[in-house]
Amino acid sequence: MVATLRGNGMLSAVLAEGQAFPDFMLPSAEGRLVSLAERLAQGPVVLCFFRGEWCPFCKLTAEALAEAMPRIEAEGASVLALTPETGDLPRKLHARHNGRFTVLADVDFGVGLAAGVVFKVPPLYRERISRLDLPLRHGNAAWCLPVPAVFVIAPDGRVTWRFANADFSRRAEPDDILAALRRLRS
Amino acid sequence: MELTQVRYFLALCDTLNFSRAAEQCHVTQPAFSRAIQRLEEELGGALLYRERALTQLTPLGREMRPHLQAMTDAADAAQALAESYRKPQGGSLRIGLGPGVGAGVIAGAVAEVLRVLPNTEVRLDDSPPGVLVESMLSDALDCALLPEDTLLPDRLNRWVLYTDTAVLLLPAGHALARRNEVGAGDLAGETVLETDFSVRLGGLRVQPYRGAAAQIADLVAAGLGLALVSSRAAVPPPLTTRAFSDPVLERRIMLTAIAGRPFAPAAANFLRLCRAQSFN
Repeated sequence: MVATLRGNGMLSAVLAEGQAFPDFMLPSAEGRLVSLAERLAQGPVVLCFFRGEWCPFCKLTAEALAEAMPRIEAEGASVLALTPETGDLPRKLHARHNGRFTVLADVDFGVGLAAGVVFKVPPLYRERISRLDLPLRHGNAAWCLPVPAVFVIAPDGRVTWRFANADFSRRAEPDDILAALRRLRS
Repeated sequence: MELTQVRYFLALCDTLNFSRAAEQCHVTQPAFSRAIQRLEEELGGALLYRERALTQLTPLGREMRPHLQAMTDAADAAQALAESYRKPQGGSLRIGLGPGVGAGVIAGAVAEVLRVLPNTEVRLDDSPPGVLVESMLSDALDCALLPEDTLLPDRLNRWVLYTDTAVLLLPAGHALARRNEVGAGDLAGETVLETDFSVRLGGLRVQPYRGAAAQIADLVAAGLGLALVSSRAAVPPPLTTRAFSDPVLERRIMLTAIAGRPFAPAAANFLRLCRAQSFN
């Protein structure tokens, strides 16, 4: 799958550094509507796309992020974690790290599509994860997933740093995120 | 995939004409065709048959169209809500409630929409399922909460919201109120008001009832009979409820809405709020 995505040049669709991240409002795992602009008014935002509650790499990423939260907050930034999953699943993702960052449900992949991180699951990989019933998890039978990309967004809405890799086992390092946040302050 | 590619494809679905669709999207035809081609590469096959006189969707194109429409609608809605949050305008949120479905479950989601869009008018319509479906089709309602066994046209999207369990609603002074739980056998000699749950039990003395869930408590209080109602229903004193365990009666409640309709911000976000949480 990774090769297919690379071959398709899919990362060229991902919002790049310097581009404005489109404002949005999405429901949180706790049933609140959260807007990007509202968060940016308080400081930079680290926006992470998660593939879902089922993804072992996302679990590791969530743990690493939760651990880094005090340092991220010390930089005046907040974290928004977006998942395409619906129903009880955003709450599960939220509970796993004791609710240390906000989990938003990107219902029907709207924000993911605007950020260029959504792709259709290739047939071979779809076979491998067919036990997952993504249509039920997403409430949408498109069989799409987001690349687990991370964006650091400055208070003016511009992307100042991003991480996107077609290989879903490669994740952004908290240290790199922190370095990007520090550069924002200097 | 890119949002613009998807928008181009949807314009092409509407026009089935490359040059007209390109014009609609304010882009040159070569750039338009390249974008469609890239989308086809990513989706793993041709979306359109390109024949001289005839442009037609392939099966893959037909399959992907509603999904891609839902995704661009979601992108637009997420952005539109952020915008209307900055400049609130009046609007309405029109929700249908099927038989025995109270507003208690969704009240939190309605309140959250109103926090963000304070000038929204809320309308709740308590009607039989067929009427609610008709109202959605004629755009008199945005969405409805309906029992799973409701016959729904294909044009309606549906998502399971929660599972409802029956409890027995009765006056606090009733003999059965001294029990912790009751079963069908205990209802011998009792009159039971007709609800979605009562019709699933045989051998009851049933008082036919066609009306709103909210009023059934008044009838029970007036002594017309007992009622099997949702455990989520409001219980005004001097009424009380007892668990109904033999047999356990359950039904699933679906959130339904017309597929592919552009919703106003209040409705679009009510739907997303409901889909983003569990009500069980």
